[in-house]
Amino acid sequence: MQLHLDGSNSMNASKETVYSLLTDPNFLAKTLPDAEDVRVIDSDTLEAKIKLRVAVVSSTMKVRMTVAQRTPPDRATLIAEGQGSGSSMKINSVFNLEGSLPTKMSWSADAELTGVMAGLGSSLLKGFATKKVNEIFEGITKAVESATV
Amino acid sequence: MEQLFQTSVDEVSKLIGLTEDELRILEDADAAASELLVSEFERYVERKYNPEVPKILRAHNLMGVPIDEEYGGRGARQLVQSLFLERLGQTGMGPITFVDVHQCLGSLTIQDWGSEEQKKRYLPLAAKGEAVLAYALTEPEAGSDPGSLKTTYKKEGGKFSLTGSKYLISNGSVATHMIVFAYPEAGGRGPSAFLVDTKSAGFSVDMRLEEKIGLFTSDTSLLTFEGVEVTGEDLLGEEGRGFSVAYSALLNGRIGVGSGCIGVMEDCLNQVKERTTSRVQHGKQIGKHQLIQKHIAFIAASLEASRWLVYRAALKKDEYEADPKNLALRSDADRLSAIAKYTASRSAFESADRAVQCFGGFGYSIMSPVAKHMLDTRVARIYEGTDEIMELKIASSVLGKDFEAYK
Repeated sequence: MQLHLDGSNSMNASKETVYSLLTDPNFLAKTLPDAEDVRVIDSDTLEAKIKLRVAVVSSTMKVRMTVAQRTPPDRATLIAEGQGSGSSMKINSVFNLEGSLPTKMSWSADAELTGVMAGLGSSLLKGFATKKVNEIFEGITKAVESATV
Repeated sequence: MEQLFQTSVDEVSKLIGLTEDELRILEDADAAASELLVSEFERYVERKYNPEVPKILRAHNLMGVPIDEEYGGRGARQLVQSLFLERLGQTGMGPITFVDVHQCLGSLTIQDWGSEEQKKRYLPLAAKGEAVLAYALTEPEAGSDPGSLKTTYKKEGGKFSLTGSKYLISNGSVATHMIVFAYPEAGGRGPSAFLVDTKSAGFSVDMRLEEKIGLFTSDTSLLTFEGVEVTGEDLLGEEGRGFSVAYSALLNGRIGVGSGCIGVMEDCLNQVKERTTSRVQHGKQIGKHQLIQKHIAFIAASLEASRWLVYRAALKKDEYEADPKNLALRSDADRLSAIAKYTASRSAFESADRAVQCFGGFGYSIMSPVAKHMLDTRVARIYEGTDEIMELKIASSVLGKDFEAYK
């Protein structure tokens, strides 16, 4: 099952600050929603257990997130790979930054899902993923803006 | 939520010519269906009524799709209403039941039978979604036989007082107003239809019926009327003509149910295509196994056959609307709506069952996208006229009035 998502949002911070925070596993570790046992492995990598909730059903997935390619201060690629509860996923995401104060971030993500989760079907998964991604970016935007105050 | 197997707007435009406003209704329907998807799934798994349905429909100005523009609606022809419901049906029969009752059984019945004052009082509110309508015909002891209704009214001066119970009423506990059918306590004439405000003294929701085997996101209730007072201004149609009101409502409702079932079959086909082209068993995609293809062929053929029956009934209803004194047209529309509902609901149920089969073990989970269709479409073969009543109607339309077996 493959999914593609994209979008953009704006953050009231300089491009350099946004770039350095979004490529810092220590910062990302604080912004992940519903994450447990978050461990920063090195300057590119973190691991966490992420709770995925669909209505009354929740499952846990062990996720490894890596900053794969850096083109400071404009662009980076993040890869998230995880498995658990009979499912596995790989998400390849890229963000591009434009302007400064505010900085516009455009992003796109391609996900590949297998197992139980994939059975939900792409239209429903896209709906859930969009909801989750919006939550993640809300958290990131707040954290970036408060880190720069 | 534009899906692969949805009827193309171009195809319909070639057939009947769609106006800009009608095209906008369908775009709005696609957008609303997309927005509904997640909450509908979440509430379904929780087995709860989905309050997002009216909210999202209001946000997209879809609460009054078939209501005439002069009363604040979007004035959709029956075929456009069907295309709207088809799109919504892709999310499941829960939203369809809400809309079918509010619009087809509720708003259209007021539009067809109401006085000018009643239309001005109720339809603008219904179109904005400030009023939610229900249709209270069924009782604990009167389902397919409305002649055995026990709810009665007492007439005193210009007022009517209603007493009785109504059972399995969709939107029953969320409606602001409902059409209620009752016989005169004194006897002597047929039932009458009344418009009842659910804030009236004596009205109560006895029980929300949540122990259903499906259709969890739709509200179903048992209602009690203990001397609920209404005035002569709340009488819908003439006193004693309640059956005519009820049957004309059901004609609209049956096309609505059939339309929703088309959406269900479209979703089944989309989900099955995705599943059978991605899941690998015995070294190949399961869609390459011939016995799986047999299920896919059934769903695809059922969808096309049902779709054109529903559209034909809708077109006939539009023809009758343009010539309302033509009883032959009415009779044709009634017959075709029964055939459309009968065929589409049975086909949707069997298609959903086959979709579950294509999904294998996961199909039996309520978390699969097709299990809810199997549970929900079962009721489409019962409500607004059971399979058996539809069969009797269809057979007597062939044999003639003397052969009406349900009389």
